[in-house]
Amino acid sequence: MTTAAKPLARRHAEEHEDLRQFIMHDPLPRGKMNAMAMESMHATSPIFWVVTAVLAAIVVFALGYEWYILIMKGQGTAGVTRPDYWGVFLVNTVFWIGISHAGTFISAILRVLKIESRRPFTRAAELMTTFGLVQAGLSIFMHLGRVWLVYWMFPIPNERQIWPDFHSPLMWDLMAITTYLLCSTMYLFLPLIPDLAMARDRTQGGWLKPFYKILALGFRGTEGEWKNLVTAMNIFAFAIIPVMFSVHTIVSWDFAMASRPGWSSTVFGPYFVIGALHSGMAAVAIVLFLLRSTMKYYDYFIRAEQFNTIGTLMLLVSMAWAYFYFNDYLVPWYGGDVWDKLVQEYTEKGSLAYLWYTMLIVNIAVPWATLWNKKWRETPWLLAIVGLLINVGMYLERYIIIPVGVTINRMPFTWRQYEPRIEIPMTIGTFALFLLLYMIASRIIPLIPVWEVQEGQEAHLIRKIGKAEISTLSEME
Amino acid sequence: MSESITLLAMFHDIEPASEGVEKLQQFGLDDDDMNVISGIPIKHSILGRPAAITYVSRIGLFGAILGMFLGIFFIYGIPYLYPLLVGGQPIFPIPQGFIITFEMTMLGLMGFSFIGMFVDSGFPSYTPKQYTPEISDGKVALLFSCPAGEQEKFVDALKEAGAESVAPVEARHL
Amino acid sequence: MATELEMPGVKNQGIEEGPVGVWGMVIDQDLCTGCQACVAACSMENNVPIVGEEDANYGRYMHWIRIERLWESTEFPEVKMTSFQPMLCQQCHNAPCEPVCPVYASVHSVSEDLNLQVYNRCVGTRYCGNNCPYQVRAFNWWDYQDERIHPELVTLHNQMNPDVTVRRRGVMEKCTFCIQRIHKAEDKAKSEGREIEDGEFTTACAQACPASAITFGRLDDPESQINQLAEANPSRGFHALEEVRTLPRITYLRGGV
Repeated sequence: MTTAAKPLARRHAEEHEDLRQFIMHDPLPRGKMNAMAMESMHATSPIFWVVTAVLAAIVVFALGYEWYILIMKGQGTAGVTRPDYWGVFLVNTVFWIGISHAGTFISAILRVLKIESRRPFTRAAELMTTFGLVQAGLSIFMHLGRVWLVYWMFPIPNERQIWPDFHSPLMWDLMAITTYLLCSTMYLFLPLIPDLAMARDRTQGGWLKPFYKILALGFRGTEGEWKNLVTAMNIFAFAIIPVMFSVHTIVSWDFAMASRPGWSSTVFGPYFVIGALHSGMAAVAIVLFLLRSTMKYYDYFIRAEQFNTIGTLMLLVSMAWAYFYFNDYLVPWYGGDVWDKLVQEYTEKGSLAYLWYTMLIVNIAVPWATLWNKKWRETPWLLAIVGLLINVGMYLERYIIIPVGVTINRMPFTWRQYEPRIEIPMTIGTFALFLLLYMIASRIIPLIPVWEVQEGQEAHLIRKIGKAEISTLSEME
Repeated sequence: MSESITLLAMFHDIEPASEGVEKLQQFGLDDDDMNVISGIPIKHSILGRPAAITYVSRIGLFGAILGMFLGIFFIYGIPYLYPLLVGGQPIFPIPQGFIITFEMTMLGLMGFSFIGMFVDSGFPSYTPKQYTPEISDGKVALLFSCPAGEQEKFVDALKEAGAESVAPVEARHL
Repeated sequence: MATELEMPGVKNQGIEEGPVGVWGMVIDQDLCTGCQACVAACSMENNVPIVGEEDANYGRYMHWIRIERLWESTEFPEVKMTSFQPMLCQQCHNAPCEPVCPVYASVHSVSEDLNLQVYNRCVGTRYCGNNCPYQVRAFNWWDYQDERIHPELVTLHNQMNPDVTVRRRGVMEKCTFCIQRIHKAEDKAKSEGREIEDGEFTTACAQACPASAITFGRLDDPESQINQLAEANPSRGFHALEEVRTLPRITYLRGGV
């Protein structure tokens, strides 16, 4: 007879969880990490140049030239019509703003929550934010009928005796996206300063030396400079979180304020924020996989634990997204408004119903089937594929809300299905531009915030309590 | 008053650096004559130093107030100057007031915190400074100025505390 | 006679223009034959561009008024048609297209209670088009009237109305209740020191309709023809999409024999 209440595990050869698999417990001398970051910036293979050339060509022809045609000929080259006044350009805008939320989530929310595994990839995520917002801004400009007059939307003193109308959700958009773009760029730059100082110290000549010298601002690392920098970073980390929530909420209000069936839903605010996080986290998984596979030495910095963190977040956010989507689905399904039901019917049974089914499968079924398994989460290529599928699903979600939802309205005589035309090459162009900007950035600035990694490594200790090795984190800030 | 000389002591880690600071304080060196330069931020209490004063949060708060007034101007000042009736909505709308004021307040807070960091640290500054590149490689440097004749005892004390090198340092372009 | 915008503390009270006339319409769907004379007349009066068959098929027709034909059942031969529905800008009092324009291109006229579309101000965000529950707004997808692009339309330009702007690409347009005619009549009445008489002028669509299905007039004049029509047909009158509560200025009459 045993005294234990439940049978104990027999002592077979236990997997000794080696704490050194975590980057915080696997420190290298700072000089070595600096050298790794700098060398991965300069080790450029011929494939890099080929890919860059292809991307640049796509940007010039698919984006630049087609946009020129769009401006000179008019919005008729796009697929928009009555009643589908808004089309793929708006889908792109919402999609790119969604991608941009991931950066802020990782660099701000994970920082506030003190999740240490974030340290190696905060800058890579923050770059996604900045470049994603650039694409969003371009996409909204593409959609304007008279884009050369867009400055009329800016609230600056003018001689026209008329200012923009802040009753309009589009003006709230302008204020919110401008705030978010400026603030996330500043938040990208602040932790970059010490790494630029490191790059300045390690670069002897060439055109990059004055670039680093100017941008490093003369940073040395004195107590006063660190205090100012860390205070500013803390203010940003706390303040940019409500801005992040407000930006995508305001973008969702472009649709919720409209009196269209299917759009005028009160759940759109939080639904879009969660949707943004969903696609953003998934995009981070793809970017981390690409960085780890293509950049030299990045398998030291980006390890299984980073993918595990992202994978867990992706699973949680997909559950939250499913919750909000069910909310948005249930209310019109239950009845009441005949027009809301018609929109739903068209989405589920119309000619584009396959988009809806695909969206549900990749947004809910795929993450729920794969991301619960830790081993799978820690496999980079698998997580990247799941991330890619989720991004496809989220793009389809916005496509269903905007061009498909807008087809059904209260005047059945006007119903007409939208077909994207010039939007297709221009969308491909924005993706190419995003990748191109990222690739150029990877050559110019170190993508790993090495000082933050070292800061974390200094604070982590392995302590032996009893027979086990326990990880401890000291509050050194 | 004899002229003072500026020395730079290099330590390979935080512990010996804090020992070095204590040694200098024992010699009666004023805290203002010392500065610790490092590759990561080190809390002042770890080094045994007084906290650095930062004005960044105050400047940020000032910016937040400016931003708030800008937001209020946008949403209520503009319709006051150029009133136009739209869609049965009041000329001075309240919900939009919350939205615009919030965004502009946050922009002011963060923008001025950013500028405040520049202003408070004296950035950008490209004049010659006392620095060695080893600091960004993880070493901790103790920069101090002491009377010219007495540097021997400082050098010995710091070497005893674990300094890798103590030498006079020239201001150079970074 | 003029309206003053009564708002405490507002500096520019200068929104007084001309005599007050709240303009409205009554459209009798039982009289409408679907001949589309109103569509043609409106297009000629307001320089509405011709878009061509392909674009019109895709939904890009520019007509400011359209005759909607709807069926009650789709099983041939049991097809029952409803009355023709002329659909044009309802000039809503609470127009949903107005607050969503970021540049004040769609504003409300206080003195005439009309929804104004300011072509010069429009930057083409098309939010107003999305927000209109009646989908009566037309967007200039191309430069339809530019003779450098469409040289074949040059002779058609001779019939254009000089009182109405010609719109370029990227600008939203919609029915204005023939505001050029309204202003002409208001100016004439002002110079003669009187109010506009009912029936002194009318819109192009009302003028062209052979069945007299469209009647235009002043809603604030109890003796005007449209008020008399509305009073004479209490059971047949309704507002389009009443549940959206845009308070439109057009009353439809339908349901009689």
